[in-house]
Amino acid sequence: MSLKRSSVQYTPSYITLLCLLCNREKAEVEETLKRIQAHKGVIATIVVNAEGIPIRTTLDNSTTVQYAGLLHQLIMKARSTVRDIDPQNDLTFLRIRSKKHEIMVAPDKEYLLIVIQNPCE
Amino acid sequence: QVFDEEGKDVTPHPLFHSDPNTVVPRQGKLLASSAYFGATGSVFLSSFSMHQPSGANASLGSFSRTYGSSSTSISNASTTESILDEIVEPGSRGDTTVSLSDVQVRQEEIKEELTKADLDRRVDLYLTETETVWILDMPSVVVSVESEDAGRVLERNRIYVDICTNRPGNDRFVEKMMQTINGAAKNKEVQCDKIIMEDKGMMVTSWDLYDLFHISEIEPTSKAEGSRTTTGKSSKSHTTKEHDRTMSVSSDRGSPTSSTMILESAVLARIHEEEECHSEAVLTSENFQQDLFFMERILMENIFQPKLAAYRQFPVLTDPDVTSDTSGTVTAMKEAKQEKHDKEKKDKEEQKEAFIDPSILSGLNKTPEEIVPPRLERLWSYVCDLTNGHSVSSMVWSKVNPDLLAVGYGAFDFKEQKKGLACCWSLKNPMWPERIFQCEHGVTALDFSMASPNLLAVGMYNGSVAIYDVRSCNDAALLDSSESSNKHTGPVWQLRWVEQDRGATGDGKKERLICISADGRITEWLIQKRLDCTDLIKIKRTESEKKKLPGEKERKSEALISQQAAGMCFDFHPKDTNFYLAGTEEGHIHQCSCSCNEQFLKTYRGHKGPVYKVAWNPFSTDMFLSCSADWSIILWHQDSQTPILTFSSATAFVHDIMWSPKSAFIFAAANESRVEIWDLSVSTLNPVISLFANPRVKFTSVLFAKNTDCLLVGDSKGEVSVFELQNLAAPNSNK
Repeated sequence: MSLKRSSVQYTPSYITLLCLLCNREKAEVEETLKRIQAHKGVIATIVVNAEGIPIRTTLDNSTTVQYAGLLHQLIMKARSTVRDIDPQNDLTFLRIRSKKHEIMVAPDKEYLLIVIQNPCE
Repeated sequence: QVFDEEGKDVTPHPLFHSDPNTVVPRQGKLLASSAYFGATGSVFLSSFSMHQPSGANASLGSFSRTYGSSSTSISNASTTESILDEIVEPGSRGDTTVSLSDVQVRQEEIKEELTKADLDRRVDLYLTETETVWILDMPSVVVSVESEDAGRVLERNRIYVDICTNRPGNDRFVEKMMQTINGAAKNKEVQCDKIIMEDKGMMVTSWDLYDLFHISEIEPTSKAEGSRTTTGKSSKSHTTKEHDRTMSVSSDRGSPTSSTMILESAVLARIHEEEECHSEAVLTSENFQQDLFFMERILMENIFQPKLAAYRQFPVLTDPDVTSDTSGTVTAMKEAKQEKHDKEKKDKEEQKEAFIDPSILSGLNKTPEEIVPPRLERLWSYVCDLTNGHSVSSMVWSKVNPDLLAVGYGAFDFKEQKKGLACCWSLKNPMWPERIFQCEHGVTALDFSMASPNLLAVGMYNGSVAIYDVRSCNDAALLDSSESSNKHTGPVWQLRWVEQDRGATGDGKKERLICISADGRITEWLIQKRLDCTDLIKIKRTESEKKKLPGEKERKSEALISQQAAGMCFDFHPKDTNFYLAGTEEGHIHQCSCSCNEQFLKTYRGHKGPVYKVAWNPFSTDMFLSCSADWSIILWHQDSQTPILTFSSATAFVHDIMWSPKSAFIFAAANESRVEIWDLSVSTLNPVISLFANPRVKFTSVLFAKNTDCLLVGDSKGEVSVFELQNLAAPNSNK
């Protein structure tokens, strides 16, 4: 069930209904997140919303907020670059490979999904 | 009417001036009179006032002309004022007369009603000349010597010259200066509120503009949605109400602020009140699920990168400094890392060189002195928690996507039955299957359809056949045979979608789902609303050819539990899909035809135990291979009733065999404890490669990969291992 938030009023009853309906998808999502976390070499998995408030994270709060803030700016810049060249294009994924880790970011309007992996193990 | 002491009429005239046109000639008259001021005297004017014609203006004009011709005495400047007064008066009088004449004119202008008879009436048109309108009159400063005024003008000029000559030094001319008084300046102060200036900077990017244009295009269509959002916003607390209102107003106006900013502020407005729901929404949104999916795949790519590269047969980078050890790429990489600290740059350079020149690589990999034996290199295995413990019963590639694999999990043995599983694995994620279909019974056979590649047919231990749609994640089967009255009563050991040439009917290739099961029937399933089947053939028990001992009487036919023999496997001829082979539990292989469903065409006897698999050779289509529980694999020629070659290498059931898609000589066999690769061009006595399994694990099925040199092996623990075939001899097209 895809939620189009712009056209919906969030009354309390609606929220409870959503929670009931979304439980299946949520369970799947939780499972996938757990699997990702359990993979070889994955150091951290972070999900932050558009303001930088962490929704799910496996690191401590300060590091999470630091990552979120820095990556948010980079994503804005990267997205701006992609769209300046062709406005119909958009950024879907960003990977930064460094000496020690690889940081993978899946950006969206409402959230940022960040996974940090050590691929050499 | 008011008269002053002199008797002149000074009646205040109305302020209303009827017509500006009538004013102009009056002024013209005045000008004309002032033009003649120099020439004529006051006498002229007074006489002018006396003559007040009430009528057309033309007469006035002519009147002034007549005066121009007459000469009168010159008046002096002292009488200017009186003349001016008199000018005014006649003007006022003229005004009233004009107004009178005007009124008279108007009365005449009342239109008559026109009748049809008027069309024939004679109409008289009078053309008159209007009076001359003086717009500018500049009197000449030159007078002819012969004119009447000449004398006077000369006289005056002479007087003027005299004055000019007498001027310097004359007491009568004094220079005097005057100063005008400047008005006193007055200062006035005014105070107002400070004008607050705000600086605002915006960076407008081309995509920003693009977004705005597109939002304004979408705006009229989604106006309803927009109004709903505004009402939704206004339903919140007052503190945000104004903010929202200004926002909605600004969005309506299409202000230059970016649309993302509006959205972000909208998000902000909402956040304060429903934070929890927001994060819920994020976690369950479709985008998030998709992103997670991709992220997992990318992680897998990172983890399995060298293995996947080997699968895809990319050239593998090895450090040439390291002695070319064919013990796989992993060790080479490790050694390269160890040397990194010492000669980092050199490594990189050499790796680059190696990449550029792959011939060096291959040369290094196979040094001419050693003959590298063929081997199976384990790349990875498809296994996860879910499949652990289930035995792999069958594996099949998708017909369309060579990276998609369907694996059926179910035990062969009656005692080990539990709930089965059919999973679709993708190459891009070896750690978790893309689709998981839970089945009631153990899955014993699977196949993907060719005509509609999203359909997966699954045969189960209880004899039922189900069809799943792989496109959906839904666990429920698309079609199920449980309602069919004709369904199998024994486990479905093999099922396949077969393309049938229907050349006669001109239908083109049609696809059928064929199953063979332990109840002795080969059935064709029809896909309609319900799954239903028709029998192709019933496998009758054939009596074994026992040599009748001389002297024995005819034996009674044995009492049989069922007239039918359990079918274990089948294979359609690769060229002519009318023929097929069926292997039975008795150990016989029957050649049958689709057109004849009563009898077999031929029977091949050779096996002493149930035949688990038959396979036609895809290249030399006269030969086929069969494997059985009697520990042997037999190669047959379709024309000969006796085996051509028998391969037996181990004392174990041979569960599965498969011909290699690349070579006519190579086939793989899964004995219980090992996987063997046989190459008939090399040796018919021993397998070329033999891979041993872990002691507790039995190999149950094999599958070759079509697009690469890899072999998939499924075992009884639920693991599907992918092996790379290295250094097998190149296929020989001859023979």
